[in-house]
Amino acid sequence: MRQFFPVEDLARDERFVQTNMAERLADTRDPMEPESKRKSAKSRSASNRLTPDRPDASDRARGLMHGIMVGEIQALEGAGRTAHDFEAGDGSGDTIPFELKLDMARQAWDEARHVEISAKLGDWMGTELGEFQENTVLFEAACSNDPVLRLAGVNRALEGLAIDVFTQMKEFGDLAGDPYLEFCEDWMLADEVTHVKMGSDWLRKVTEKDPDRRTKALEFQQVVDKLFSFGGARGDHEESSFKLARRFRELAGFTDGENDTINKLGVDAFNERNQAIKQARDAAAAFADA
Amino acid sequence: MGDTTSTSDAAAPSGAAADSTARAPFAPWDRRDLPGMFSVAETARRVGNYKWTEMKLFEALGGWIATIPELDIKMRLGAHCYHHAWHADLWNQRLPELREMKPERLTVPANDAIVRFIEAMTEPEAPELTIEKLVGVYRVLIPHFISAYTYHRNNTSEITDAPTIRSINFILQDEFDDWRDGEMMLQSLITTPEHVQRAASHQANLEAIMVEAGGITGPSSIGGASPDVS
Amino acid sequence: MSALVAGQVSVDPAEFTQVKYDANEIAAIVTSLAETLGVSNSISLIVDETTPLAKITCSIDAPSSDATIVIDAMSGAIENTKQLTTLGVNQTRTSVGRMLLRARDRMRADFADVDTDDELTLAESAAWDTYCAGRLARAGIEINTQRWRYNHRNRFGFSDAGDADFDRLWAADGLSWSEVVAGIAAD
Repeated sequence: MRQFFPVEDLARDERFVQTNMAERLADTRDPMEPESKRKSAKSRSASNRLTPDRPDASDRARGLMHGIMVGEIQALEGAGRTAHDFEAGDGSGDTIPFELKLDMARQAWDEARHVEISAKLGDWMGTELGEFQENTVLFEAACSNDPVLRLAGVNRALEGLAIDVFTQMKEFGDLAGDPYLEFCEDWMLADEVTHVKMGSDWLRKVTEKDPDRRTKALEFQQVVDKLFSFGGARGDHEESSFKLARRFRELAGFTDGENDTINKLGVDAFNERNQAIKQARDAAAAFADA
Repeated sequence: MGDTTSTSDAAAPSGAAADSTARAPFAPWDRRDLPGMFSVAETARRVGNYKWTEMKLFEALGGWIATIPELDIKMRLGAHCYHHAWHADLWNQRLPELREMKPERLTVPANDAIVRFIEAMTEPEAPELTIEKLVGVYRVLIPHFISAYTYHRNNTSEITDAPTIRSINFILQDEFDDWRDGEMMLQSLITTPEHVQRAASHQANLEAIMVEAGGITGPSSIGGASPDVS
Repeated sequence: MSALVAGQVSVDPAEFTQVKYDANEIAAIVTSLAETLGVSNSISLIVDETTPLAKITCSIDAPSSDATIVIDAMSGAIENTKQLTTLGVNQTRTSVGRMLLRARDRMRADFADVDTDDELTLAESAAWDTYCAGRLARAGIEINTQRWRYNHRNRFGFSDAGDADFDRLWAADGLSWSEVVAGIAAD
């Protein structure tokens, strides 16, 4: 078996179709419903957040749950690879402490349960496996050949995103009165808080004597955090689809400063995406007029 | 060592007052005896081999998850990866208790043949080779774990080496459960004569290497060659 | 951009620039669907390709059986969810199919006072969607029943009463508007 596994080789059955961030960001359509399209107060979504009072609540929840499921599959694969890819050692170079390998194996088990939960919830919501495209960005964040960057990308950035998304789904389930959704999301949330905390603790320990490596890891985490804002869909700003779950993030060890930084990255991503959409549209209009 | 319990019940020795609390150290139903087959050093050697092999197994299972397209098998391997990691952890904790203060010193394969076995077992990577991956683990390695652990448990001292036995009992429960899961997955995958041939051929190749190794802890894995006795 | 006209169906725009939809293909799917459902009215399908959202509404231009059906769809309503920005044949049949049935219902006298699609409450819209999806399923369109049951539950509650209302609407045909919304509790 190869030491490192490329994202293009992720094994899937024929139901799944994969895409990546480059393809997704090439989509020039604007995901925010414009004011001009809202013909009546009754049809208007109060915000882009997933709440039961949205007209498209059920289908958005279904799409998000499928996204959670494929995200968990990639998290499972990522944790499994990290347990495999690095020899046990003192944490220098290409090695990771034995106890970190054990924690990664434990995380693989946790993520496997999350896939099982998400698949069952997908059934409950009337979603077929593979009904929606799978974005492989989550595994790509786990793909770094440096184990410290993996901790930053996966356990802090990716699992931090999971905390935000699961909190959103939990609240949705609670508001909708769904007897299973809130219950299941809460159990998954508890695990994700553990994963983030584990990642924070190990990042600190492994880079204790190497401040440059720690700085590089935290910079990498910010790159991934911005990627995981999905063009501004995550953040505390009004146009975001899901907000930062600050309370659970605090339990997991994120500081207020870190959360504020993540929020700012989301706002930056939102503005950049809007700019890119506008440029693409202007180019299309110029082409049409030519 | 002979039976030192009296033939009467384990209440007060004859002639003592009726409310005496003096009892024989071993109840009549407690037939545990003192000598086991393995010295502290030999036990530590075996435990080190177990730890090394459990590590290789959990690494393989974790690494394979991304290579396997069958969704139910992906998820199962995630759970099993943790089981064997936990086993490695139990052995890692046991080693210092067996006077090995640097566990990594004894975390070694029994011999070169076991190394070749693991290399051969982990060689299949392509997504269409799920049968081979599972055969290596569930029809060769785990059965050998079951026999090595069973031999060890049945031959070590139940008194002096109770901690090792306790760990082996927990571990064996996982091994049997995982073996059953693996066998069911394999039986659901092996549906044509070609599949049967692939499975049998891969099993035979791996089994031959394991025979060369003598088992997970070498030639004395399940008896035969003389272990170091106390 | 002008609309493409193919028989009873017109598709606007005739050419797409932000998604890889083909107006001819869309027209063919809608024509076949209309035939399956027994809808012979003129159909005008207007697709907003500037947004990936999936909102879709319909109206009729006159309260008569030969009215033109106007369907406003955001591009996500007919999109292939496995390959975004490409056309989804089944998604088109499900989304447009519901609108054709709604439009036909609106041509009935006992639907004359029904609010426009934009003005419907969430429960009214969900009830009508269940009623339409059940008819589509019986017409041979590939429908995931559980998807519509989940949608109904989100509006009517996760309860035996909500499920009973779903089953009633799913199996029904020829309902009046008051019968469609009979399961909505009075305020």
